[in-house]
Amino acid sequence: MSMTMETGELINFHVAVGDHVKNGDVLFEVMTDKIDMEVEAPADGVIEALVANPGDVVEIGKPVLIMLTETEVMAFDFGTDNEPVAAVEVVAAPVVAPVVPVVVAAPVILNETVKAVPKARVEAANRGIDLRTVRATGPDRTIMMEDVNGAQLDPAIAKRQAANKALIAKGIEMTRGVAQASFTRSVKANFDHATFIAAWAKVLRNRPDLAVHQHVGVALIIESKYGSALPVFRDPDQANLAELTILVASITEAAKSGKVPVAMLSGATTTVFDLTSYSMSSATPLLFPNQVTSVTIGYESATTKIVSLTIDLNFCDFYDGALLLDALVASL
Amino acid sequence: MSDRMLTMAEAVREAMSIAFDERPEVFLLGEDVGIYGGAFGVSGDMYHRYGAERVLDTPIAELGIVGAAVGAALSGMRPIVEIQFSDFTAQAMDQIANQAAKIHFMLGGALHVPMVLRTPQGSGTGAAAQHSQNLEPWFASVPGLKVVVPSNPADAKGLLLAAIDDPNPVIFLEHKLLYKIPGRDPVLEGSTRIPLGVSKVVREGKDLTIVATGIMVNKSWEVCEKLAAEGISITLIDPRTISPLDMNPVFESVEKTGRLMVVQEGPAQAGFINEVIAQLAGSSSFGSLIAPIKRLAGMNIPIPYAPQLEKAAVPQFDDIEAAAREIVKNWR
Repeated sequence: MSMTMETGELINFHVAVGDHVKNGDVLFEVMTDKIDMEVEAPADGVIEALVANPGDVVEIGKPVLIMLTETEVMAFDFGTDNEPVAAVEVVAAPVVAPVVPVVVAAPVILNETVKAVPKARVEAANRGIDLRTVRATGPDRTIMMEDVNGAQLDPAIAKRQAANKALIAKGIEMTRGVAQASFTRSVKANFDHATFIAAWAKVLRNRPDLAVHQHVGVALIIESKYGSALPVFRDPDQANLAELTILVASITEAAKSGKVPVAMLSGATTTVFDLTSYSMSSATPLLFPNQVTSVTIGYESATTKIVSLTIDLNFCDFYDGALLLDALVASL
Repeated sequence: MSDRMLTMAEAVREAMSIAFDERPEVFLLGEDVGIYGGAFGVSGDMYHRYGAERVLDTPIAELGIVGAAVGAALSGMRPIVEIQFSDFTAQAMDQIANQAAKIHFMLGGALHVPMVLRTPQGSGTGAAAQHSQNLEPWFASVPGLKVVVPSNPADAKGLLLAAIDDPNPVIFLEHKLLYKIPGRDPVLEGSTRIPLGVSKVVREGKDLTIVATGIMVNKSWEVCEKLAAEGISITLIDPRTISPLDMNPVFESVEKTGRLMVVQEGPAQAGFINEVIAQLAGSSSFGSLIAPIKRLAGMNIPIPYAPQLEKAAVPQFDDIEAAAREIVKNWR
């Protein structure tokens, strides 16, 4: 595609809704000002919707189809609210052209127009607040802690959370047929998501016998009005904690706009779900496909939280599960 | 206890006298340190008490003075050098930065240079641009040197005794306005050390963390007192040793207060205090900030001769008070 290209004509789709595709599979063809080009899938996933039609002239940056990763398919099934909105939008844009590398994870603050003090970003990320919905009263229109403390959840997120809460409360077992066990501990509530993710990854890394992967990828479930996004933080225990804190905060913000970098949507080996903003104490954490563990963080009191762990009993026994959770709690 | 409320000059003299009594290898050399008693009266009567062999008056030749001290230190002595004004260390910089600081490393650790170089610095005496500088960043950026900036008599005594014990070259920077002022705390009797590389939490508060060096600790203390009456409580931290720098109390305090202000007399540009900001910005405590970091430092100009301009060139009580009030009131 040339740099001056502003639109492209969609020739045809190579996939249909519901198709499972692999990274590199051809999704559709687009006619550029020079050549006809095949656009490939940037990750493994499932086609959720086709939002353009063959023959349409589509602007660069506008969605052509919507694709979910495998774990997102699971997460979307949580809700009753089936808005077909996704974290991966495969667009007729140079970012997916074969000659250009796929966008990689970087600590980007996507809504750069929002100014906020660092703690407000961390707090908003942890509480599921979209900073763009918060009124800034600080100097130079900067969001202060006072603003975040008084902020309400985005109504769309609140609605989705209410739906999810009802479903989770029923204890839906997503992974049927898998023998699993869950454990719960009370911990001091003095950690943020970055610290928790890093601590959990470190615990898992110390148990290579439980590894079904070469790396540790922690998926963090983030609610947005577009749905649940599951950005995956790869080997967070080996990252600089300060950088990880900023990355988690910025990706959480990005997820709320439905814009998680494609490279962060695959490679999960475990999942973390923070129920604090649902005012829930614990749920049976759900095991996602190809994952042996899943963890929830729940509200207990102003100073304590509840951490719950589910393990796949095909990989470890009850004793292992208790040890894993104790190790996690001890390192927080 | 009132007789232990010494001035900084008296405390430094007491520390040197204790070291003289304890170690025969300790001696003092410099311009006018003998019969005259030191340009600022620090060595006082030591010439008469210890004799001309241990309190050496030297020619006006700073490179030679420090060179002789480095040689003596290599030969088993523990010299204390007094350079009359820190501005004159420029003359001796090869011996300080290239010889004293490096010999231990150039010779594979076979030799070391247990030398202390004491020198007054700072503005406020109407001595103009060549006798009023704060040159601590020169020394703090030379690996191999330790750099001490005492803010009060009690610390000066304990730190100087520790510096004389230290096997490395130590630069000991005394603010000349502090020489004649008694400290807030009595100076401990006897041979007591304060370890190098340990920051001091001067007072604790919950609204703001101030990190200040040298005479700015005293000015900041007065501001803390005044604002405490208005209900603004401030943590004041004095690094005391700026190389090596102990940041842990700063991290711990900022995690509680969320606000950081740094104050130094020397010019803002490339000043030492910027290191405090840089380390905080790169730490996980960054996420605790609820306000932009405020820096108060000298202007980037040679210290003027006119008293009014000299005063205006460096932070004063009113500047610190206004900045502290602003950061606490405006960022909530």
